[in-house]
Order: sequence, then structure tokens, then C-alpha cells
Amino acid sequence: MATTYKNLLSSDLANTRTLLHEAIPITGSIISGTYGGAGTALGSEPHIKTYSHGMFESVYDYPYLSSSANQIFDVTVGYASTSPVSASANSQNSKKINIYNQMAQYLVGYDITGSIKKFTMPPTNATMKECYFIPFGRLLTKDEIKKGSFTLELGVSGTTAFTHGDALFAERIKLTDTSGSSGYYVDSPTGEYGVLFASTSAGSTALLQGETLGSATTNPAVGLLYYQAGVAVLSASIFNEGSTSGHLASALYVNHPRVTSVGDATTLGFTLAASGATMAQMADGLRNRIYNISYNNTTELNSTIYFCRVGHGDFNYSSNPTYLTGSQIRVKTRAADTPVTYFTTVGLYSADNELLAVAKLSEPLRKDPTNEITLRVRLDY
Amino acid sequence: MGFLDNSGDIILDAVLTDTGRMRLAKGDGSFKIVKFALGDDEINYELYNKNHSSGSAYYDLEILQTPVLEAFANNTASMKSKLMSIPRNNILFLPVLKLNEAFDTSTAKHSDTGTFLIAVNTATETELEKDSSGNILAGVLMGESPGRSANRIRVDQGLDTDQISPARALDPLLVETQYMIQMDNRLGNVVSKTDAFRASVSFVDDDSVATYYLSRGTDPEYVTSITDTSDSALQAIQGPRGTKLNFKIQTSLELNTSDYLFNTIGTTENFDSVSGATTSHKVITSTIRVIGVNTGYRIDIPVKFAKKV
Repeated sequence: MATTYKNLLSSDLANTRTLLHEAIPITGSIISGTYGGAGTALGSEPHIKTYSHGMFESVYDYPYLSSSANQIFDVTVGYASTSPVSASANSQNSKKINIYNQMAQYLVGYDITGSIKKFTMPPTNATMKECYFIPFGRLLTKDEIKKGSFTLELGVSGTTAFTHGDALFAERIKLTDTSGSSGYYVDSPTGEYGVLFASTSAGSTALLQGETLGSATTNPAVGLLYYQAGVAVLSASIFNEGSTSGHLASALYVNHPRVTSVGDATTLGFTLAASGATMAQMADGLRNRIYNISYNNTTELNSTIYFCRVGHGDFNYSSNPTYLTGSQIRVKTRAADTPVTYFTTVGLYSADNELLAVAKLSEPLRKDPTNEITLRVRLDY
Repeated sequence: MGFLDNSGDIILDAVLTDTGRMRLAKGDGSFKIVKFALGDDEINYELYNKNHSSGSAYYDLEILQTPVLEAFANNTASMKSKLMSIPRNNILFLPVLKLNEAFDTSTAKHSDTGTFLIAVNTATETELEKDSSGNILAGVLMGESPGRSANRIRVDQGLDTDQISPARALDPLLVETQYMIQMDNRLGNVVSKTDAFRASVSFVDDDSVATYYLSRGTDPEYVTSITDTSDSALQAIQGPRGTKLNFKIQTSLELNTSDYLFNTIGTTENFDSVSGATTSHKVITSTIRVIGVNTGYRIDIPVKFAKKV
């Protein structure tokens, strides 16, 4: 009997897993400067979405009212209730504490008493009580951030001017998870995380307290990167100078860098900003100091490979209407001629003949009784 | 869908169809790939040049240069013509499916429209069933009460060639024993020519296309062998004959009771009515696809579902 289907045997199936990486470069001009530029107040740019609750703001790659805009990441800030910064008189004090606790319970988890643990830096076991949080959108992060690929460059110029502009980026530090590919941690409830180390990336001298230019061992740990969660946690001390438990070189920073547009114009590091500025203003401050971000994402592809084995006696005739002329096979002149077909498509079917998947060849393949072909069809999930 | 890049190595562009995704989403185990088939939808075998002056290596030069489209996700848009496996290489003729309009007037198409006209309710049946002289009109199927008329659709299978006598038996390898009928499930369903059997739907896909399987032996009211081996004008197949498929269409309750689908996907046409006058009808134009499950050959039968305005 003529047949149009061929059964797949269990030996014709194979499963495999592939990791696919994409490079995600996010230029700082998208984050702070492209839309609105110097003429628009911080936080009012059309690609920055703020919320009435004021607990975070979202950065889009395009004015967010456009349907083609994609959310890139969010920015928020918080501190622990036990932080010396915490004070009931602070602007949005309880919300800043709530955000810290929310992120901590999600990313760090609970201790044996059920209390929320605080963010700690594994190399030094130092507690991070004041943090910036940057949750990246799944659209870009996909399944996870590739370990060892993350870079965040921040402008740390101590200029007192705080507007859009290049002056903030004359002196820059770069945060990387350089140890991520070989030295990451697994005690987070959300998966693996690595440490972000800072180093001077632009400027004439070492900008960090105790840093020796070119020596990775002197780079301070300033944050954590949660790979599967796609969240960067930055210690707020990165914007404080060394004599006040910060990471910036005391000799260079008589004043802390300004990280908000409100409050004292000369000595406003994170510690002071946290009291007077709202969370949105502090998010604006961090965003305005981001020079660029780049990382590679990871997509985990689980694949099933179907080996469609076409034997020499299989599929040598066609039901294509042009195959026949008056019921006679067009490619044959006499019965003894070899039948020949050309196929472009492989259809994968269920037991009840429903077409579940289809694969197209880039060019027709000839099939006749003198050849055998094995087609390797891979379906990714 | 664009063409696939065919400048380098052969690549395979594979996607799940919409039905595949639907079954995957169901999570009930219905997504299980157990077989494969090969298709040649893009190939035009008329380009096979057996008389090429440079020899047999050049016969298929144009065919092999055929550009191939990317894979369609729509399950009904791909694999329209399949390759066949037949355990013999010395076959010169292959069977086809052919609409038999010659058997009698009850199997002919509607002469004015060139389709089968399906009246969806009693009023329309009365309006279109007969001409002004009281003669039953060919090609008008009774959608609400299929038994009211003998009109039906008949598809014959066999070698449609005058080079082989119909007195010769069709090679058993080439006899089609199972047919697949696909039609829009919103419009109607398949019933037997005696109206005694409503065919069971095998499955309805995500595009509301219902598939019926009808086999010789298990569905004798639909599929039977063609026993006429004479050179008869009542037969559509000139050469050796295999099986025939007879069926009618019963319209859906939705078409019968509502104008929604007519207003959404239909149009309006005028037909000659029993009174001799031309009357206006809401019409949905569709096709019913009949496929030989074993031989893969298929035909699309044009139909119009009509409702008196």
C-alpha cells in the first residue's frame, strides 16, 4: 500500500540543551540623555516612567507612551531600618525601608528565626544597609545574565553641578563581576549571584580608596549581581568618600559626589541625600550618573532532535498535482525509469495526522531510489 | 514569509505550527510527534525537462533552483502535497481523486455558480431546490435536511488515463482505502448520502477546521469500491478504478439560526429560485478538502452556503 507518513522510532529522537548568549549594550545616553537632554528636568524625560507611589522609576528605550517602547530596567533605592541613615523625618523613610526589606527577603531570604536577612558582601561579610537596586527587564535579561559579562560604568566626578551633561563623567569607575564566571555564590533563594568590584575607568589617578591602578586585588567590592533574578544591588557607599566608610578616595573627594538634585549643593553624598530626597529623586541621581551598562544575557534552549531517516525506498513518488499529466508520472517516460521527487518541507505529525511542526529546507532536495537521506530536525522549547 | 537563504549550506528552518502550540499549551499529552512526512509544495514538476539537450544531469536544473519560502506556522498552509512511499519503482501511473459529476445529476455541481450550493435552512431549501418547472436542480444540497434530496458530492479515485483499460484492476498498492475530509467546522459537518450517518469528527484544529477520517470497510456508507469496469460515460476515471467517496453536508446550527457568520465572512448573491425569479441570498464561499490518506492526492471542492434574505 502507498503511504505518505513514516513512523519515528524511539531511537530517532534525541534531546539536547543549548545556551544562547546575546550582547546587551545599554548606552548612557539612552538612560539619561537622549530624550529631553539638557532641556528637560531629571525625571521628566519622556522615556522615564514615574509612578504616583514614587517607589521606583522605569527606564524605557523610547518614550514610554509609544507602543514600540520597551522597558529596559527599573531603578529604586532603600535602606535597612537599622541603617544610621534611617530617620522618621526622612522623605519616604518607611517606603525606603520597605523596598530594602522587599528586595532582601526576595534576594537574600530569611534567617533561622524567620527574620529577613540583610545584604552582605561575601568577601568581607560586610553588611550593605543602604543600597540602590536595578532590576533589569526580562525582555533583555532572558533566562539569566551571563556570569562574568556584566559592566556598569558610573560617573563619580565631584562636580557640584547636577544636570544632564558630560561633566559628571570626567571621572568614572567601572563595576564588573569579573569573578562571576568562576567565583559566584549560591546561597540566595533566587539562584546564583556574584560580587561587583569597582575600578577606575577614567580619570588621571586612582579614584577609589586604597586602589592601585591596574591591580585587581585592590578593587573594592561594591555590590552584588543576581544572575537569574537579573537584579544589580549597589552599595550606596560607592558615592561616599573613604573617611565616611565610602569607597571613593578621601584625598580626591573633599566633598561627596552629588547624587540628587535637591538639598545641600556641596556635600551631598548618599548619606545626606537619603534624608532629603525622595526615592524618585535618588533614582534620577543614580540614573544620571550611569555612563553605560553592558552584559550578555543567556537563553536556555531545550531541544528535541528528530532524525527523519528517509530510506532508499521511501518517498520516491509525489502527490503534487504537477507530478502527473493524465495520471502518468511526468518525470518518467516508461515504467522502468527511476522515479524521482524533490522535497522542500518536512512535516512532523501526531498519531492522528495533525501537523504539529514543520521544517523547510533552504533548497529542494532530490530523492530517488538510489539515495538515502537523514534529516535532522531540531525543535527548540 | 520570506525566502530562505540558499546561497550556502542547506539549512532547516523548523517551527511549531499553531496547532502544535495549542496542543503543547493543553498539557494533556496530545503534543506527541510520532511520524513525519515530506512535502514538495513549491515544486513544479512541469519544469522537469526530459528533453534537455545537455543530458539527464540537466533535467532538473530549474527545479533545484526553486526558491523555498520560510516555514508557515499555520498547520493548514503547509504540506499540501506530500511525497509517497510505494514499494515498487516501476510504476508509471499514479491514481488521482476526481469529482464525479457525470454519474447523474445528483452528483453534478450547480451550473450557475460552478460550486455545490448548500441551502442552510428550510426556506432556502424550498427556494433553491427546484427550478420553475419543478425539476430538481443539480448541485443544490439540502443543508438543514440532507435527506430531502439525493444530491451529494461524489469523489472517485483511480488512474485517469485512456492508456489503460478500466477493465483492468487497479494495483492494490494504489487503491485508496481511507479519505480525510477537512472543512470549516463553523459552517457544517459531513453526513452520509443516505442521511443516516453523521460522520465523527476526528479533531478540530485552532482554525476551526474539522477533520474527518472515513475508511473503506468501517464506513461503508461513505467509502466503497467502484465496481464498474466498463468504459462508461458515467465514470469520471477513465482507467482502472479504485474507490469512491459519497457524502453530503449538513449546515451548522449557527448558520441555520444566525446571520452573524454570513455578515462577517460572507457576501450577497442572486440565484434563480423556484418561482423563476432571481432572489437575493446571503452567501459564504468555502472549500471542502478531500485527501487520500494513503496516496496523499487531494482535491478542493468549492461550496457556497446560501441563506435566503
